Amino acid sequence: MKTKFKIRRSDPLKAEPYWQAYSVEVKEGMTVLDALLKISEGDDPTLSFRRSCRSAICGSCALTINGFPKLACSTQILPIAKETREVTVEPLSNHQVIKDLVVDFTPFWNKMEKVTPFLLPADETRKEWVIKKEDEKAIDRAQKCIMCGSCNAVCNSLDVDPNFIGPAASAKAWRFVGDVREGHRKKRLERLSGEHGVWDCVRCVHCTEYCPKDAAPLEAIERLRAKAIEEGVVENPGAKHVLSLVDSIKRVGRLDEAAMTFKTLGFLRSLGMIPFGLKMEIHGKLPHPIIFLAIEGMKEVKKIYSAVEKRRKKG
Amino acid sequence: MVIHDVIVIGAGLAGMRAAVEAAREGLNVAVVSKVHPVRSHSVAAQGGINAALKETDSWEDHMFDTVKGSDYLADEDAVEVLCREAPADIMELERMGAVFSRDDAGKIAQRPFGGAGYPRTCYLADRTGHGLIHVMYEQLAKKNVYLYDEWHVVEIVVEDKSVRGVIALELLTGKLHRLHSKAVVIATGGYGRLFNTTTNALSSTGDGMALALRAGAPLMDMEFVQFHPTTLKRTGILMTEGARGEGGYLINKDGERFMKRYAPKTLELASRDVISRAEQREIEEGRGVDGCVLLDLRHLGEEKINERLPQIRELSINFAGKDPVREPVPVKPGAHYSMGGIWTDVDGKTPVSGLFAAGECACLSVHGANRLGGNSLLETIVFGRRAGSAAAGFSFENKLRVFPEDALKDTARGIALILNRAEGESASGILKEARDAVEGHCWVFRTEAGLKQGLLEIRKLKERYEGVCVTDRGDGFNTELVTALEAGYILELSEVMLLSALNRTESRGSHFRTDFPERNDREWLKHTLIYKKDGGYDIRYRDVVMTKFKPEERKY
Ligand SMILES: Cc1cc2nc3c(=O)[nH]c(=O)nc-3n(C[C@H](O)[C@H](O)[C@H](O)COP(=O)(O)OP(=O)(O)OC[C@H]3O[C@@H](n4cnc5c(N)ncnc54)[C@H](O)[C@@H]3O)c2cc1C
Ligand code: SF4
Ligand code: SF4
Ligand code: FES
Repeated sequence: MKTKFKIRRSDPLKAEPYWQAYSVEVKEGMTVLDALLKISEGDDPTLSFRRSCRSAICGSCALTINGFPKLACSTQILPIAKETREVTVEPLSNHQVIKDLVVDFTPFWNKMEKVTPFLLPADETRKEWVIKKEDEKAIDRAQKCIMCGSCNAVCNSLDVDPNFIGPAASAKAWRFVGDVREGHRKKRLERLSGEHGVWDCVRCVHCTEYCPKDAAPLEAIERLRAKAIEEGVVENPGAKHVLSLVDSIKRVGRLDEAAMTFKTLGFLRSLGMIPFGLKMEIHGKLPHPIIFLAIEGMKEVKKIYSAVEKRRKKG
Repeated sequence: MVIHDVIVIGAGLAGMRAAVEAAREGLNVAVVSKVHPVRSHSVAAQGGINAALKETDSWEDHMFDTVKGSDYLADEDAVEVLCREAPADIMELERMGAVFSRDDAGKIAQRPFGGAGYPRTCYLADRTGHGLIHVMYEQLAKKNVYLYDEWHVVEIVVEDKSVRGVIALELLTGKLHRLHSKAVVIATGGYGRLFNTTTNALSSTGDGMALALRAGAPLMDMEFVQFHPTTLKRTGILMTEGARGEGGYLINKDGERFMKRYAPKTLELASRDVISRAEQREIEEGRGVDGCVLLDLRHLGEEKINERLPQIRELSINFAGKDPVREPVPVKPGAHYSMGGIWTDVDGKTPVSGLFAAGECACLSVHGANRLGGNSLLETIVFGRRAGSAAAGFSFENKLRVFPEDALKDTARGIALILNRAEGESASGILKEARDAVEGHCWVFRTEAGLKQGLLEIRKLKERYEGVCVTDRGDGFNTELVTALEAGYILELSEVMLLSALNRTESRGSHFRTDFPERNDREWLKHTLIYKKDGGYDIRYRDVVMTKFKPEERKY
């Protein structure tokens, strides 16, 4: 089947990016990467794009395909072409373009470096670690990351604040914080809780939705936040906000904004409240900041709290 | 000019392991890689990495399996180092932060693997390479190794038989740079991309071997390439051995389980070379389906497939458009592993002073005529470490020697020639023909006539390559230029491989000559060594090092 490919191209020497169309004979089983290779090996060798493994494991080929980030090498053409008649291919968004489909990954790698991306073992001399399967499971998802950049490309917070640590580096950070061998958990959490850190995520879920490897960066962020509170890393606006939220609801069944602001901005929380914020964060149950006056359901609220508390005690 | 103590070319597992080791000694170390480290081919390794960890296992057994698997072409001194040092290296990987799948007691789990008499393969689910490459990249950051990422090395600079550094093309700008050093470690991976059908990454073009050959180092045993029997039709993507291990059938167009005619006892679980040859015969004798045979998993049922072979199902659907739950998947043999490479000793040393090599690009040889699954990741770690340490030692003992004045000019001229040629042939066109020639004549079955024909074709293509030209004249990210350079390496290595295969008049491991179907220990217990000489090649031989085991028939 002849399929039209519209490719967003940029030449460093030309001021404006432009669209170029190619017609590619597509056979069953062909991926977008196959089509790009076909174009560059025939019609137009000047087309630049990254590729290596062509089996969805090296992270080279994430592109915006028909509007969404995808790995070119694991995206079958026929199913999309049948639906939309043509396939558009653009570089990843939220990234600076170098040429054609090649974007600058420097900021991506720099963010990785910011999270001290290596294990700092609690015990350097230990010959062998005994690690329970469930401990390994805690970091398994985050570990599947192939550093393709898809998540950062669709991250709303990153779009607004380029300095935000972003989903990919957060997943990497959790991979260490959640590792039973790690020896500097708290220090890591303190840094991650700082400016441009994990509390800046607005939980739009895009990262997890578009991750091609099911690494679930948002889950990592939630785990990091929970762990931070658990470890008492609360001297930062993000954690304080969550804790005062929990407190406010417990007291009046709704958000008491005035008090919350006060607390968020500078009131050392008693450690007793920490587990609540933590549990709610883990389960994604922190309510949206909508103001209700009614607090008739206070009884129910109390019940929820004691239920959560019970579950926490059970572990 | 930039100066480093040690420069490592390649950021796969071997290269990074070497760099980390050299940096550990406090040296100024740089890694130059044409793709970002985590994009290196090592990331794709699935099955695992071998080591005799258990008390009921031993490095001697591991050594025996390896030597036997190699069809007795491996050098036993090198295999001994590999197997003896494996356990400590695995434990070190774990201390670095590697995550391995665990057994119920929380210890590193080990699975059985083809050709091994004991379950000694450590793994992380079906993404062992991915896990390890990220760990090694982490260590690179920890050790502050300087990284030139997306820099393509185009020349290893040697004068008076001693290495002076490298010249590399910075992809981003198109600029050529001189990197001056005392020692250079080559870790550029295999040459799977000499073939059309290969499980290897698009970047496995054998660059380092071609550059080493040009720099005066010999290549060894280049005729030995392992063919994997189950790779996807168009792409060569690997369907792991697990698919057959779980009970998958191989059938021909008549629905017959043809392995019963080739290996009545082991059927689909026969060794890789045996199955590859059986498949090829079926295809050549007209019992294939569109150039393939079929991997049939339907009888396993959806549940078992989902539980045990999720990756296989995903890959089949995404890359072949076939759901193995409902239909058989077309597969065929594909070039999988390069046993041959740059000749080194057990410390990665080549005959060129200051030049080292490790990983798939090197040949010690620990794999001989046939590599065992799980031994090549191990090789990258053990010999990457040793090469890194030896390169560091060399740097301590030696002074920096001058970088020849003209080196950069000469290289620049060569590249400018390609870039400025007004008209000519495209590299992809030449490459396509070269791969057809290699796949046509140096595949699973080889004959004298075929190999000669292949050589003829490659030599013609080499001439045509002199007129190669690019349409992309831009500086930034000129991937067409990179393809043109890679085509040069591929042509060179194709010729060397064909020559080596032509001269080896026996069948051993992966190298099968229909005109000499038997292994010939009397004449051929030796390695092929190829040197570059006056525009041609000089072929020499070297006896296999045997210390412990006597060659016997390789039967499983
Ligand atoms: C699909 C698949 C599965 C496998 N599974 C297993 C397994 O389960 N167990 C096992 O033991 N082995 C396995 N192998 C084999 C194993 O993965 C490889 O042998 C090993 O990873 C090679 O590592 P390396 O470091 O030598 O080279 P590579 O990982 O190939 O790295 C080569 C490096 O060199 C760089 N490079 C190349 N040319 C240049 C140049 N001109 N300039 C600069 N840089 C350059 C590249 O950028 C790259 O960084 C598998 C192989 C395949 C194909
Ligand atoms: S959930 Fe958070 S990190 Fe993920 S994309 Fe949205 S804002 Fe970014
Ligand atoms: S988390 Fe997922 S989307 Fe983000 S870089 Fe890793 S693999 Fe890509
Ligand atoms: S080419 Fe490696 S992920 Fe697509």
